[in-house]
Amino acid sequence: MTRGAPAVAALAAALAGCAASPPLANGLAGHAPRSIELSATPFYPQEDYHCGPAALATILRANGANVTPETLAPEVFIPGRRGSLQVELLGAARRHGRLPYVLATTADELVAELADGRPVLVLQNLGAARLPVWHYAVLIGYDAERNVALLRSGREQRLEMRWQHFAATWHRGGRFAFTALRPGEIPAHADVTRYVEAAAGLEAAGQRRAAAAAYDAAIARWPDEAHAWLGRGNMAYADGDLVAAADAYLRVILLSPTDAAARGNLAQVLADARCLAESRRQIERAVALAAGSPLAATIEDMRQKIGALPEPEAACALGNRYWPD
Amino acid sequence: MRIERFRRACVALVSLSLVSLGLQAPAMAGVIGTSEAIAATRGGETRDTIDAALARDDVRAKLAELGVDAAAIEGRLAALSETELQMLADQIEQAPAGGDALAVIGIVFLVLMILEFTGVIDIFKKT
Repeated sequence: MTRGAPAVAALAAALAGCAASPPLANGLAGHAPRSIELSATPFYPQEDYHCGPAALATILRANGANVTPETLAPEVFIPGRRGSLQVELLGAARRHGRLPYVLATTADELVAELADGRPVLVLQNLGAARLPVWHYAVLIGYDAERNVALLRSGREQRLEMRWQHFAATWHRGGRFAFTALRPGEIPAHADVTRYVEAAAGLEAAGQRRAAAAAYDAAIARWPDEAHAWLGRGNMAYADGDLVAAADAYLRVILLSPTDAAARGNLAQVLADARCLAESRRQIERAVALAAGSPLAATIEDMRQKIGALPEPEAACALGNRYWPD
Repeated sequence: MRIERFRRACVALVSLSLVSLGLQAPAMAGVIGTSEAIAATRGGETRDTIDAALARDDVRAKLAELGVDAAAIEGRLAALSETELQMLADQIEQAPAGGDALAVIGIVFLVLMILEFTGVIDIFKKT
């Protein structure tokens, strides 16, 4: 690459707002491998504008999902934008039963995921900050000695990019990166908040089996994580298992006594189990806890529905249990 | 009055369609979803309440407008959380759309050539 006049270069650098990144070897943790190449990662040369489906197919296929860029295009491509949006890539991964785990914005987690054998989908801005050229590629490795990132990118099966250069394009792309996990699989370095949020995404997408497996794994790893228990409760409720749902919501309330969602959901389970007096007591608590929160309207709605229920004829199915104050 | 009658009919129609949309919502009936609960506990959000049904309608219309096949839209919407739907409703036209590095034209091309030449960016050589 030819160097222009220094003044032009300085101007251009200012325009691009480029971040100075250190060479890879400087930032690599002591225990990290000096080089990795996940050479078995499949390659799909992209068609016009279809780097989203191609990159997504690459990481899903590497994880055993039966997809191709052609089958994914109708799930993620937006003709009017000539591209694909980040959240839709996450959504499509869910549709194929995978948990899209969004990585931290530091390079450490990119390296850790590669070390675990998972190729990483990254968003790059190959243009400038003000003049973006958005591009999805798949990071399949790096070589610290040669200071390069290794990518499946566009029509290039094996693209070597100078590490600083890759880091700068990733930085300009907002440092967005994710891997596709099998439900129940949790990386050793995983962050509890991001993992449970990803599991909640599976739940929202109606992938109940996958979400339940992810919550179970999260609870095994982080037994005190309230939202993982809330998720377990919701999956039990969806399965019609009121006892398991009530137990899980109860655990949330013990771990996080001010959690309005768990109170509201517990009240709903109690109503379904014909324990109307206790349900009404719990929903009042939920309404009080939700005051001023985004859940206030939803919980008020639940309160009105529970309030309007007729007195049950059969006995409460969850009798002789302890309920929180 | 005729206008008043028309107005009432419109209100009734809109209400009816909103009710039927509520019934179609794929979210689990009865309990609060985990992603909704997580979003609520996260402080500092400017928007206090997410109207999921409204966001869904909005994104549905925008995807159709942007050329997405009608048959594919519902499945795509169903794969997203309420927070994601809201984000799309707000930013579907601006959010980064990863596409193709080769599809650059005109003045953009010229400026990028200069940046490329000076070594600031690198799109033509290596993608």
